[in-house]
Amino acid sequence: MKRYLGPAAAALLVIALFSGPGYLERGSLNDIWNVSLYVVLASAWNIMGGMAGQVSFGYSAFLGMGAYATVLLCLHGWNAYATIPVGMAVAAVFAVIVGLPTFRLRGPYFTIATIGVSEAVRVFAQGVEWTGGSSGRRMPIQYGDFLHKWLPDVPRGQAIFLENYYAMLILAVVVVGTVWYIQRSRFGLALAAIKQDIDAAEALGVSATWFKVRAHALSAALMAIAGSLFAINFQYIAPNSVFAFNMSLQIVLMPVIGGVGTLVGPIIGGVVFGYLQIKLLTIQALRDSNLLIYGMLLIVVMLFEPRGVLGLIDRVVKFVGRGLPKARKEARHAA
Amino acid sequence: MVGFLSATLNGILVAGLYTMMSFGLALIYGVMKLVNLAHAGFIMLGAYATFALYSQFGLDPFLTGIITGPLFFFIGMGLHKYVVRRLPESGNTPAVQSLLLLFGVWLVLQNLGYLIWGGDTRSILTSYTMKSVSLGPILIAMPQLMVFLVTSVTGIALNYVLAKTYLGKAIRAVTQNKGAAQLVGINAPRIQMIAFGLGIALAAMAGGLTSTIYPFTPDFGRSFLLKAFVVTVLGGMESFWGVAFGAGLIALLEQYSAMYNFYPNVFTDAVTFTLLVVALVVMPKGLPSVGNQLVKFVQPWFEKTFGRKAVAGS
Repeated sequence: MKRYLGPAAAALLVIALFSGPGYLERGSLNDIWNVSLYVVLASAWNIMGGMAGQVSFGYSAFLGMGAYATVLLCLHGWNAYATIPVGMAVAAVFAVIVGLPTFRLRGPYFTIATIGVSEAVRVFAQGVEWTGGSSGRRMPIQYGDFLHKWLPDVPRGQAIFLENYYAMLILAVVVVGTVWYIQRSRFGLALAAIKQDIDAAEALGVSATWFKVRAHALSAALMAIAGSLFAINFQYIAPNSVFAFNMSLQIVLMPVIGGVGTLVGPIIGGVVFGYLQIKLLTIQALRDSNLLIYGMLLIVVMLFEPRGVLGLIDRVVKFVGRGLPKARKEARHAA
Repeated sequence: MVGFLSATLNGILVAGLYTMMSFGLALIYGVMKLVNLAHAGFIMLGAYATFALYSQFGLDPFLTGIITGPLFFFIGMGLHKYVVRRLPESGNTPAVQSLLLLFGVWLVLQNLGYLIWGGDTRSILTSYTMKSVSLGPILIAMPQLMVFLVTSVTGIALNYVLAKTYLGKAIRAVTQNKGAAQLVGINAPRIQMIAFGLGIALAAMAGGLTSTIYPFTPDFGRSFLLKAFVVTVLGGMESFWGVAFGAGLIALLEQYSAMYNFYPNVFTDAVTFTLLVVALVVMPKGLPSVGNQLVKFVQPWFEKTFGRKAVAGS
């Protein structure tokens, strides 16, 4: 019975979200889109940062590559959705090229190197002309026809909106599903072995570099899809939005606060972060300093519960579970 | 030729600042084997503290180090005592956990900066900001010269402390081998706390000096943090002169590239960051270790051709 509880809840949630446009307002749907984006970012990072334990602070580079691939190709008359595979390929190839040398570095050295890589990419995107420099690029609206053709009575603006909504939801389901599948596969086991003890894993015949390269390319490609959808939704990108260091920080914060290396942790992190972000950004005083709260949360999590919110929940459940029978027994004794 | 000389001189002047900034990082890394991401936050706070002292009390920005130094020394020790030390011991390789913790500290500092001072760009204008000294045909900006003087004095003092005093010897001992240091009776946790405070104080003082040359925002520590990483990685993480050497290299590279246009100026940071990655991958122990290996590699051949005596005699 308990085995089916999780999947059943997940299925219900997915159904509820997919039928969302039937009963929710446009504002709430927009919030769901944002939260799904954060869940995608957190879960994709989690493949490399959580499951394989290679903490990277440079994932905005992949997000930005997806976004830029979409915008630049759309300006050349491509269909927006046809650009997604190109973005994925670019990000994955870049991930492999960067990964092969930097995977020799361990722990914080790898992290510092990733900061260097992503910042170099950002400065490059700001400096060259074909990306539009630091003022960014706007892309032409040329989609929405997809849904418009199927449902001709839906107005075009609404069709565009729904298309974006469903695209992001589908991506979220795909990414979470991928993580779920990886956890159950040989691949996931290899990543877990690398995380626990890389030398022992290598000694047992797990080719650490090969698995790391694959995980890196996979999460980079997923990140690039998110970037493409980001560009399609906002129709405008700039190095300071998609390549920003702050973006990398947010991507790291969510899974770490939620519970690193698990399936549900990054989802919790993404939902909490995304929701708080929407609420916090409406407060004028906190517009620039909205990451303050997450900084404090991160300190608390690192000091007291490195497994994040998920670990905290686990503790509470165990505490209550341990407490209850005891309390009952004591009550019986007292009586 | 004049251009080359002035670029060289300017590079050396800036190198003083980079050394100060990076040595704090190297000190903390050496003693605790952890990478202090919060360094950027303290560089920024130092700049704002200097700004506040200058605008409220009219204190000369080059003298504020006398106040900010001790202040941030105690802040750093407090941070170590109440936060950093609570992390589980990580042995000889720095753990990711400490990195994320200090990253959290950085985020808090940076966003406190935004909360208190807002995101506007600020700069400090003193009566001599625009002045310059001429050395024959070479012009040197006055603030750069002052910054170099202050960093040199600090560097000499620091070197004296590290070389001659008990504290300095203890710091070097803990850097080399913490366990052995404890065996001979050094109170390692205390030394770590002091070194952490010292590193933070250096960061804040360097930040204060930087604010007299460059405009700043609550986010301005980041690019300097990355530069400090490059410097420490190039210089080898553990010695003062290694760090100074790395700082000189980076500063000169920046100056020369600005002078001769090796690449467009907008890419200066991109080149520095790429250099960081390359340096990390190719020589994780810094240039000095590459030099040592080169010596080891060349020595046998040298001895064979010139005889053992020639080498030993020199």
